[in-house]
Amino acid sequence: MRLMIPHPGHFEALKEIIEVKESESLNEVEEVYMGGSPEVMGSGRGVLHAPLLDEIREQTEYAHQHGIKLNIALNSTCTGGSHLSFEGYKLFKWYFDELEKAGVDGIIVAEPYLVELLREYPMKTIVSCLSYVDAPQRARFFEELGADVITVDTNINRHFGLLKGIVDAVNCDVRVIVNEGCLYRCPFRYSHYNLASHLSSLDQPRTPLFAPDFYFDKCINIRLRDPVQIIKSGWIRPEDLKEYESIGISSFKLSGRTKAVNWIINCMRVYSRRSYDGNLLELLDCPQMLRYVFYIDNKKLEGCIEQWKNCNKHCHECGYCDELVGEVMTSLK
Amino acid sequence: MKEEIRGGRKRLEDELRALLGNIFVPEAKVFGMVCGCVGFAADLRGLKSDDVEVFREKINAILVDISRSVGVKPEFIYARKLPGSDEVVTLTVRELCARCRREFAGSMAAPRPDIMVLKRQG
Repeated sequence: MRLMIPHPGHFEALKEIIEVKESESLNEVEEVYMGGSPEVMGSGRGVLHAPLLDEIREQTEYAHQHGIKLNIALNSTCTGGSHLSFEGYKLFKWYFDELEKAGVDGIIVAEPYLVELLREYPMKTIVSCLSYVDAPQRARFFEELGADVITVDTNINRHFGLLKGIVDAVNCDVRVIVNEGCLYRCPFRYSHYNLASHLSSLDQPRTPLFAPDFYFDKCINIRLRDPVQIIKSGWIRPEDLKEYESIGISSFKLSGRTKAVNWIINCMRVYSRRSYDGNLLELLDCPQMLRYVFYIDNKKLEGCIEQWKNCNKHCHECGYCDELVGEVMTSLK
Repeated sequence: MKEEIRGGRKRLEDELRALLGNIFVPEAKVFGMVCGCVGFAADLRGLKSDDVEVFREKINAILVDISRSVGVKPEFIYARKLPGSDEVVTLTVRELCARCRREFAGSMAAPRPDIMVLKRQG
């Protein structure tokens, strides 16, 4: 198993993550990733830090001294077409050149054009889950464009047939995100990430938004009214990683680079040790706030993966997850 | 309580102005969070992270006084910056719940890159 860990961006956080990894011998942790400069591109998450190149170089050197690879996330899903202008091309070329000089190991991108542009660089091209790779054919397209690693769409985290098909279809590494709790087949997914991409970049809306986090608010409301949606999300329990390894996936990514350092460290421990006794919602990057509302007993979910591995997602005919809610989930007082 | 919050906002603005010139505190509030934390927070304009570094002790002293006046124990004091900039947009004093004492305030590093820790108890 190989784990990729989120890094909020400030050097002190990286040092603390690595210190815990080393002192507790969490040898599965091989890579960290952080956001790049919002002046070049936004990203799929909020940006809390805008690292300068010198800082990226310094942090990369530190990570390498400790045997850790450092990747930069530039996974905006919408640039408004600026990347296809001559100015945009020159900007990305310049930034990739500088990141290469800084020793960065990999770049996480969602935009197919940037996947192709990165072919010229020795850095690994890591296709973001925001490229929505959800089928073998789409995986092959991205591999042909130049992907070294494909992070699959979390919507197929429980579609083992598709996951196995992707593993068989490509030669590059296939990675899954383990702790994202987005709504399964969320109707807001594309719009939300496009909005986040603009809000985390310099390409901002021209007039103030009346609802800056409209999609997030909708998402939380849906789950409060219908908690079974939390169960149906594509999260993966630490104990179930072995099921993915059995189909050839050994690369796992933790989500959560906008969260507090100690939360990240706790998730790193739990997934490294593959065991957790507590509220599953404590591990999920999104929707984190629901951990104050519901308790999902992780131990009671033991064995559910067998159902989900073979699930055809005809929820209207099944009812398994609806029944499960009553057994594993309680409302917190 | 209303008078203490109003007075706290005014005092913070006045004292920061005396130290640094044009600082604006458009809003101050006492808050309670779902996790159990309570606190006092002031939104600001005109304050920079360098200013906060230089006047850290004075700012802490003002915030400690104000938070006590509104019934909040000043366990964790921090400034929030606009991501990627030097602009400080909020000063917060928080009386921590057990979870946040461990998770939010328990790391040696600032919990997030947009946060400058000004004071932690213990």
